[in-house]
Amino acid sequence: MGYLLKMCEARFVAGRPPAGPFTLRVCDRERVAAVFGNARDASIAAMLAAAIVKAGEGSVLIDEFDPRVQPVHCKRVVAFVPHDPLPLEETDFRRYIAYRAALWGIDGMRALAHAQLLIERLEGVHEAFAYPIAGALIASPKLLVLDRPAAAYARCILAAAGPRAVFSTHETSAAARAFALAAELVPA
Amino acid sequence: MNATAAIVLSRLSSERRGLTLACVAAAVVGFLAPRGLAGPAFFCGLCGIGLALAGGPGRRPHLDACERSAPLFGRQLARAKATVPCVAAAIALLCYELGAAAGGVAPLWWSVVAALASVTATTLVALCATIRSGSSRALYLALAAMTTATAYALASSLPVAFELAFCAAAAFLALRQYGEALARYDPV
Repeated sequence: MGYLLKMCEARFVAGRPPAGPFTLRVCDRERVAAVFGNARDASIAAMLAAAIVKAGEGSVLIDEFDPRVQPVHCKRVVAFVPHDPLPLEETDFRRYIAYRAALWGIDGMRALAHAQLLIERLEGVHEAFAYPIAGALIASPKLLVLDRPAAAYARCILAAAGPRAVFSTHETSAAARAFALAAELVPA
Repeated sequence: MNATAAIVLSRLSSERRGLTLACVAAAVVGFLAPRGLAGPAFFCGLCGIGLALAGGPGRRPHLDACERSAPLFGRQLARAKATVPCVAAAIALLCYELGAAAGGVAPLWWSVVAALASVTATTLVALCATIRSGSSRALYLALAAMTTATAYALASSLPVAFELAFCAAAAFLALRQYGEALARYDPV
């Protein structure tokens, strides 16, 4: 089976202190909830998986692409959802989806229709968290990377993600366990 | 809408308070001190520096996260992000000239062109400070102030073509420098 994400002793050395090493693998349609020692490590691991930051040591491969060489290809495979909620006072649903669609080069009307379907699946999730997930999924990525998502929304998020692979980072084992349990209830 | 337009519009929208303040201040200063190149070049250059700093990394984390995770080439992202404060500073300059016109002084075309060139170059040099810290940040801010002063000195003592050539060279170098620094920048 091919790996969508393969991290091998990956260390982020540009920051102080360095983060890692991280070793993990995510296959197609697999859901992986990983626990890290602290919020910074969890955030850096998610950003390494989404090709937002690059490993200074070790290797990261995203669908066989190296983010240090082909970051744009990697970012077409992965969608990243940040930890922080969207400031709703600065944008609204239509504008946000149009903005995300333009960044990914998707037709705005199709993206909006897709996002509305996703928002229905994310019923119960606060808009500040639901909009970024819908915005990430409109590009139909192979892998969804979640930086410390709220455990309470695990089931809704995995339902919205559908059959694609999901990699989530967590600070606590309780949050990771909530995602692992939800993955059993909502199979890919 | 393409990615560049989406980034420019979303950033301008998120900076609308600062932009409004800069426009009102420019119109008032233009009304009170309408004559010559010094007013628009120095005041709108200051507005450009302020607007460039206001749009730096970390100020709008949700926009930063979307742009960094989007499949865009570094140069495209750098150009789009550089366009934002330049457009904002140009709008402030327009307000300055409208204020001057309301004060009874018709704007001279060469003065407007020279001020626009000076403000754009100053803003782009100041943009390089946004992704640096400490002494190099202070150095780029000092360089931005020196760009305005040099452009003004050239425009007031030599034909305006010399000032335009200086501003074009400074803007080109600053944009290249910003693009290279942005490609190396780690958001952690």
